Amino acid sequence: MVMHKTQRHRGDYASSRFVRALGTKREMEKIVNDFVINVATANGTGSQSSNLIILHSMFEMGVPVSGKNLFPSNISGLPTWFIIRASDKGYQAPGDGTNIQVLMNKDTWIKDLEALEPGSIVIFNQDVKLPVDRHDCTLLGMPMTKMARKINAKLGKLIANMYYVGALAYLLDIDEDAIARALEAQFSGKEKAIEINSQAILEGREFAEENWEFDCQFTVEAREKDPNSFLIEGNEAIALGSIYGGITMLSWYPITPSSSVAEGIIKWLPKLRVDADGGSTCAVIQAEDELAAAGMVLGAGWAGGRGMTCTSGPGISLMSEFIGLFYFSEVPGVIWDVNRVGPSTGLPTRTQQADLSMLYEASHGDTQHIVLIPGTIDECFEFGWRVFDYAERFQTMVFGFNDLDLGMNRWKTSGFKYPDMPMDRGKVIKTQKEMDSIPNYGRYRDVDGDGVAYRTLPGSGLDPILYRGTGHDEDGIYSEDPQVYNDAMARLKRKINGARNHLPAPVVREEEQKELGVIFYGSMENTIVEIDDLLGESGLSVSTCRVRALPLHSDVEDFVRRHDRTIVLEINRDGQLYGIIRKEFPVDLIHKIHSVAYSDGMPPRARVYTEMILRVLEDN
Amino acid sequence: MLRLNVLELEKSEYTGGKSSLCPGCGHDQISNNIIQAAWENGVHPEKIAKMSGIGCSSKTPAYFLGKSHGFNTVHGRMPSVTTGANMVNKDLTFLAVSGDGDTASIGIGQFVHAIRRNLDMVYIVENNGVYGLTKGQYSATVEKGSKKKKGVANEQAPIDLCAMAINLGCSFVARSFSGSKKQLTALIKAAISHRGMALIDVISPCVTFANNDESYRSYNYVKKNDEVLHILDYIPHFSPIEEVEVPEGEYEEVSLFDGSTLRLETLAADHDYTDAVSALSAIHQSEKDERHVTGLLYYNENVPTATDTLGLSETPLVELTEELLRPSPDSLDEINSGFRS
Repeated sequence: MVMHKTQRHRGDYASSRFVRALGTKREMEKIVNDFVINVATANGTGSQSSNLIILHSMFEMGVPVSGKNLFPSNISGLPTWFIIRASDKGYQAPGDGTNIQVLMNKDTWIKDLEALEPGSIVIFNQDVKLPVDRHDCTLLGMPMTKMARKINAKLGKLIANMYYVGALAYLLDIDEDAIARALEAQFSGKEKAIEINSQAILEGREFAEENWEFDCQFTVEAREKDPNSFLIEGNEAIALGSIYGGITMLSWYPITPSSSVAEGIIKWLPKLRVDADGGSTCAVIQAEDELAAAGMVLGAGWAGGRGMTCTSGPGISLMSEFIGLFYFSEVPGVIWDVNRVGPSTGLPTRTQQADLSMLYEASHGDTQHIVLIPGTIDECFEFGWRVFDYAERFQTMVFGFNDLDLGMNRWKTSGFKYPDMPMDRGKVIKTQKEMDSIPNYGRYRDVDGDGVAYRTLPGSGLDPILYRGTGHDEDGIYSEDPQVYNDAMARLKRKINGARNHLPAPVVREEEQKELGVIFYGSMENTIVEIDDLLGESGLSVSTCRVRALPLHSDVEDFVRRHDRTIVLEINRDGQLYGIIRKEFPVDLIHKIHSVAYSDGMPPRARVYTEMILRVLEDN
Repeated sequence: MLRLNVLELEKSEYTGGKSSLCPGCGHDQISNNIIQAAWENGVHPEKIAKMSGIGCSSKTPAYFLGKSHGFNTVHGRMPSVTTGANMVNKDLTFLAVSGDGDTASIGIGQFVHAIRRNLDMVYIVENNGVYGLTKGQYSATVEKGSKKKKGVANEQAPIDLCAMAINLGCSFVARSFSGSKKQLTALIKAAISHRGMALIDVISPCVTFANNDESYRSYNYVKKNDEVLHILDYIPHFSPIEEVEVPEGEYEEVSLFDGSTLRLETLAADHDYTDAVSALSAIHQSEKDERHVTGLLYYNENVPTATDTLGLSETPLVELTEELLRPSPDSLDEINSGFRS
């Protein structure tokens, strides 16, 4: 047994809260609800269950906690890490360092150890016969595999992971009932699994208690829990939102990290979308490829349905031809892009925001698309239903833009809110009387002056036309006339432009001093508060503006105008939103807007971006 | 006297715009046959959806059924658009035209999967063995040894769309010739009456790039080498059977989904249209003989369609109201509490 007392490790955070522990066994300053655990395991060993039990048990206690699953593109064997961060301040970024490292995987053992700051706590599986030569750290070993094999020889490898749950529960004072509840939820209904794993957790706890004479400076302390709150993945929230948005056709082709959107819809449809005779009110087709998936959405929208597909960057590339046809023939449809790291196959299981400019102008020729960008779990649900209304209102393909971090990690919500407005089915003519009331009707004639023409549906017998991707006049008839083409393109531009202030406005948090404005979007929301605090420590007064849609709402331009300097903060290399802003904003504003863009596949860590912002401010 | 169909509509209700294809193009004959078949079948034009991809053939929906909605989509991807539309409105009659480039090359994946799902549609391939709109390159269906007007003979093995469809379990597979008005019209009518994927591969000579005698798809060649399986008569469900001329000799009757009948006066006695092996054998024999076998090659009425398999609502989804499409507030409360516990 390696036992090693270390000096108290204060952690990296100036904001850490110190309290006196009132417990019996310790008399030291405790760091409460402010630490980062990193669990290193191999993919396919069942460690995800263990990690979620830790996460959920702390959540059950009301501790503000977040979890990040860093998984490989692999089913079994490759390394995977799970980062759990507790933060009374509500910080949800993965944190800049590790306080407690759990070592289970021999393949990353050495590197994981090397990366630790002196004073870190290391919980390791002693049955992995590798050196643990960091005597500047607290080293806590446990023969996890051996103990697990005693419970069940065959499942030993899987059960071994439950021992670190017990160990962490002991070190951090995680409530036993909370662990039990999280365990039960994890293995819902599987009595045998609950029994075995519960025994392993207990043994882990007892082993730690008996063998580790160590006062852990980190601890969790129960907080008042919002009784309405729960944790859920962004993709499942989108799935539910789509169902409440009246989706009638889902076509999809499996691709990480978007598959769980489709799988979420498939899971919930039988409960939520069955008619009185048991028939499904939404068709689901696993397509032969992404091209077909997009084509099916087009067909569904053309026939008057609410079609949707979900994919990631490589899928968008394949769908691009159809996306142009959506735009030019003016058919509603929804495509969710859950961004993973590109280009090409890239890092398929890591997160990024680098598809934005592609989405905005996808397909050949002049195009421009509406993009909705949720930044919170609640917005995943909300934009999940709203996106259909925008697609039908503006008769075009609308993107939902999510990323792996928000899509595949678990986030807190207090419950999803029911749509606050009826469905907007857009300008669809259903009867001859309606048709007669429109003077000089033509499928592509802008009679209302908003760029959006009226349409009729196949089967209605009203003004049948042959939809086409070729040039067409206001009646939908083939035309190569220069003026006709130019007018059509100008109207399309007017239509999408006209959408901007109907789309979700940015969320602005503004300081009185208009010193620095930070524009950002999407999952950066989960790091921005911490960045804001860190910048505050440097004496900066920071306003923030979270963009929620493209084309940009006019509020964004006003935000820039009000501030001395503006940073556009993004999880990509090139500053894609910055590029859009440069192209679209008045020239007199451009000189005070700067780009901070960085991406390494990791969910954004506050310190990395803060330092970059400070550097850019210094240089400009 | 004006001739009216069973819906009391004139034939002009089924015609379309003026064709811009080359004079004498086989595709225009097919368009005329589509008009004739749809009119005689008494299908309401507004209940038909015309679908196509890109190419000479795919332009033709502009030239027939002007009272029907349609979609001239992108190259090779018509089947997926048809799939999405079919899911949303299964009551429409999907009548699609495609070409050999559209179907056998760029769109072969979508073609295969539409068959695999038994999508309820009529899929007409206007098959001339060349890419017409890009000026006469060979397509993947052209026979080995066939030579177009310019250039050398084709040396690559052809893709036989009918053989492929039969192997994939397609529920209705036929081949015809744009010059065989009676046979083709009967097949199109039967295809419309069928529920499920009905493929009609129509040899349609390209008068501009491949109507020379060395081309296996020229008018002269096909006329000389047409291996006709049977003489076809279509008897619509609304028409008393005695009005129809009964052919002499041996015949078989195929009952179609809507109650209509396709009567086959059998010339090739050894062909069994219910047997995939027999159908494939007929195709391969004719290929060996450098001939084209035409007629109803294969038929199987017992294949569930894509919408059957999915167990969709009886009402076409497009007709469902918000009440059915958006679950209740209570259901969301229930979901939220389920996650909380």
